Amino acid sequence: MEKKFGVYICKGCGIGETVNIEKLKKNTAGGARIPADSIKEHDVLCSSEGLELIKNDIKEGTNTIIIGACSPRVKFEEFDFSGSLVERVNLREFVSWVSEPMTEATQTLAEDYVKMGVIKTQKGNMPEPNILPDLSNELMVVGGGITGITAALESANAGYKVTLVEKEAELGGWSAKLYKETPRQYPFDKLDDPIIFDKIKEVESHPNIKVRKSTMVEKTDGQPGLFDVTLSSNGSTETIKVGAIVMAAGWKPYDASKLGHLGYGNPNVITNVQMEEMAKKGKIVRPSDGKEATKVAFIQCAGSRDANHLPYCSSFCCGTSLKQALYVREKNSDAVAMIFYKDIRTPGQSELFYKNMQNNPGVLLTKGEVTAITDAGNGNLYVEADDTFLGEKIKVEADLVVLATGIVPSTRGPQEYLDGLTEAGKKGDDAKKAYVEGTEKPDFILNLGYRQGPEIPTLEGAYGFADSNFICFQYETRRTGIYSAGCVRQPMNMSEAAQDAAGAALKAIQCVEHVAKGVAVHPRAWDTTYPDPMMIKCTSCKRCTEECPFGAIDEDEKGTPFYRINRCRRCGTCMGACPERIVSFKDFSVDIVGSMIKAVDINEDDFRVIVLACENDAYPALDSAAIKKMKLNPAVRIIPVRCLGSTNLVWVTDAFSTGIDGLMLLGCKYGENYQCHFVKGSELANYRFSKVKETLDKLQLESDRCQLVQVSISEYDKLPQMINDFVERIEEIGPNPFKEM
Amino acid sequence: MTEQIKPDLNFINSVIDAGGESLKKCFQCATCTVVCGVTPDDKPFPRKEMIYAQWGLKDKLISNPDIWLCHQCSDCTAHCPRGAKPGEVLGAIRKMTIKHYAAPAALANMVADSKYLLMLLALPVIIFLLVIASQGHLTSFPEGKIVYSKLVPIPFIDGIFTAAAIFAAVAFFGGVKKYWADMSKGVELKGDLASAVKETIMEIISHKRFDKCNVTKDRSLAHLLVFFSFIGLAITTTWCVFYLYGNKLLGIEKFAFFNFGASPYPLYDPLKIVGNISALALLTGITLVISNRMKNKDKAGEGSYFDWIFIVVIYVIAASGILSEVLRLADIAALAYPMYFIHLVFIFFLFAYAPFSKMAHMVYRTTAMVFAKCSGRG
Repeated sequence: MEKKFGVYICKGCGIGETVNIEKLKKNTAGGARIPADSIKEHDVLCSSEGLELIKNDIKEGTNTIIIGACSPRVKFEEFDFSGSLVERVNLREFVSWVSEPMTEATQTLAEDYVKMGVIKTQKGNMPEPNILPDLSNELMVVGGGITGITAALESANAGYKVTLVEKEAELGGWSAKLYKETPRQYPFDKLDDPIIFDKIKEVESHPNIKVRKSTMVEKTDGQPGLFDVTLSSNGSTETIKVGAIVMAAGWKPYDASKLGHLGYGNPNVITNVQMEEMAKKGKIVRPSDGKEATKVAFIQCAGSRDANHLPYCSSFCCGTSLKQALYVREKNSDAVAMIFYKDIRTPGQSELFYKNMQNNPGVLLTKGEVTAITDAGNGNLYVEADDTFLGEKIKVEADLVVLATGIVPSTRGPQEYLDGLTEAGKKGDDAKKAYVEGTEKPDFILNLGYRQGPEIPTLEGAYGFADSNFICFQYETRRTGIYSAGCVRQPMNMSEAAQDAAGAALKAIQCVEHVAKGVAVHPRAWDTTYPDPMMIKCTSCKRCTEECPFGAIDEDEKGTPFYRINRCRRCGTCMGACPERIVSFKDFSVDIVGSMIKAVDINEDDFRVIVLACENDAYPALDSAAIKKMKLNPAVRIIPVRCLGSTNLVWVTDAFSTGIDGLMLLGCKYGENYQCHFVKGSELANYRFSKVKETLDKLQLESDRCQLVQVSISEYDKLPQMINDFVERIEEIGPNPFKEM
Repeated sequence: MTEQIKPDLNFINSVIDAGGESLKKCFQCATCTVVCGVTPDDKPFPRKEMIYAQWGLKDKLISNPDIWLCHQCSDCTAHCPRGAKPGEVLGAIRKMTIKHYAAPAALANMVADSKYLLMLLALPVIIFLLVIASQGHLTSFPEGKIVYSKLVPIPFIDGIFTAAAIFAAVAFFGGVKKYWADMSKGVELKGDLASAVKETIMEIISHKRFDKCNVTKDRSLAHLLVFFSFIGLAITTTWCVFYLYGNKLLGIEKFAFFNFGASPYPLYDPLKIVGNISALALLTGITLVISNRMKNKDKAGEGSYFDWIFIVVIYVIAASGILSEVLRLADIAALAYPMYFIHLVFIFFLFAYAPFSKMAHMVYRTTAMVFAKCSGRG
């Protein structure tokens, strides 16, 4: 495609009052070598007249469009000219709203940004989607409980073929074991019959759903659109092809045999699961002699929110105990149910159920720490508790004690096994072998063919719950095309699990639809570019394969890396990692960013600082600060990057050899409390830059000239100050000595 | 020491039935205790009373003086985030305390239950009809100038009301004795009883506690009017006794403005002035009580039958008393005598059933306040 350039400068929103537009046009024509008649201005470029101006030029053959107006994060639809290469230069948020109007420094700033935009389009090319052949748009759902069944039904009703895989002989999971369900409808005062059996019928008769019971996943290979899944059932195996996977493997109750301190082991102390079984059978009785129970004590958080057992809240147990209290009351109106809780936690609408149950005369509640279950001598038990609302130390007689045990995600077993294996592996092959032989292997769920391991990873500090980007994209795991839903990723009640299932089904559908169009799945859901390495120069150093957070790059038998492109999220971490700089995207490459850095106007009297800003958090934060009109030092030039993980070290050389005085990297926060969109980009950048400092010192350049800052979007109001402080620090250090060379 | 808690479902249900139907809504946030202006700082109420009631811990409530330290300002009810109305619940528990200590218990149950109202009214109606019949006025009103003793002669009045008062006093005495004994269990009394009584009386006269209320602060004036008009009417009644028996037994004749002898007395008589002012104050006070309750019902709750029957009885007494006098002066016998009859019936109702009705609050609350002062919670 031969490029015909058109540069359009908007004068609206204060740009015309901050920058001398005539001078900007003139210097763009000279500096970026664009014909003067291809550089146009308009009072309000996003108006229909302004857009008409651009559209007319497109009709005349203009195909490479540089728009100097507002942030690319706004007016997205107005400036979407499909078929043309479009670059947005952020004159409003990065110049007009943050700089002193009509000064020399502001003018140079605007001219630099336009020049950088032009260079980006000169070096870049129109992206063409990479659509792999023989894609499947069928889905697989692993787990046939309420979550899996709902996910299967939602997808099937949306027109997608689904294979539903269940390990047990029957569908339904825990929800099929319930006597009654907590109310589903306003006013949330009456228990409902389990809904699961209707849903099972619906699933089993649905033309789009194939149910595979007593079936395990033996192997999951491939990539979104092209997963090859080997299923095994009663000794026979079969491989199916699916486009995306919803993993709803559910949970197991916490092992009550570890709750001896709460009396478990005594026949009259049962778990909430056993209570469901008892209620389903009929009367609520004292198991030791079958006498009808009239004083039933419920102990909440039995092993939950307890550092020695499960440190987290299992979310549904309060609702379940309130429901079971109603079993007690409905089966015998003279009976009382006494609930000892740490805090009643009834999320969402279940709060209304709590209020209704609280109003029941025979449902008695108190906060308290149960300290012991002791024998009352008559076959009954004493529940002893401290710090209750009724007194500091109390005891109350009960003929039946129900422990509200929490949930353990099905992913925890495999995760612990794998962690153990890694630990053993560190001690050598013998230790590893001994571990494998001496440890019972739990049921694995997906058996993934990924270099990062055979299961969905779990977050650090998440107690074995499946991966989930809980801040922005809760169903997303680090394995593109595989979505976790329900209690396997977070404790939740049945209605939440059903909602979760619908969400995960939509993500799975998004996945198969996007790969069919050759677009990144998420979070860059508009992006048709993809990493395109010049393999001839590859040295097989494996840095890209090691660093890709999504397992998108593997080595073939000869050790040469290859992409499974549908796993890729287009973060560019491979591009940042590659020492040979062979990885490029059509609109984002080592050369493009390097050239943009080199395009910055350098003169001996002024300082220049480059800020490489992560597009996910830092860039929108800068936009937000600009909306507040918080001033930025005009020495700063901001260049967006997909992820700090894409930062190639050569840009440091590019910057300092050109005469740039300082380089700042703005990336996401990493660590347990924050979730980087590309998982570990800023962490990797930090690691790489720790090495840069040594290099800078060797060159007798102060290592302070280069700084990485972690910022979250909510810190936008502090960001301008952080940047301005950095510029001041650079001014203290003095000009870059390479400037004169 | 570990204390054994014994939940009592029947007690929970009876608190609910007694007007504490919002009881179970409490989730123990303790906003009530924080906003309460009259609770002591140590072991404050009404948060703990709410959970005792939710768990049916009768023993911890019935003999608990805190129940009576509460003046039902309803600040707690107005601020309760859950609509649990602690003020109403404590009111219900007070009613149950009155029932618990009153003997005979059957009578207590009847006073608290609207379905026995007619039966309770029937007793004074029959008594006074019998007296009237004995005077031969069942079918015709007395002749001549309206004098109420023609309808019910004074010895009957004295006899009937003295009997009612003695019955009430005996019932009160028994109840308070038991109550004091229950409260004293396990509590060390340090204060001096006489000074506690003195302080309590001063506190009641000044209505100091009512001033700590916010939501229903108008109640102070209403209660003050009712309270002092009762005292005024008690003085008037005693004064009547002096006039009557001073003349009859000691032969004191009328002098200056003082009209010794039998009623009716002229309007300028100081006795009459005190009586009439007290009657008007009572009517004003009780009308204010009603209007305050209507005004505050959203914030403070509607109150129970137990509350309302007491208010209505006082209202009828005040209104029928004033009307009896007005109709007598207007010389309308056909209305005046029936009005006086109504007046007598309701006064009997108030006196005879006092230990079982909300009237008992004056005795139990006073006792609890004295006890609280003795035990350092005043």
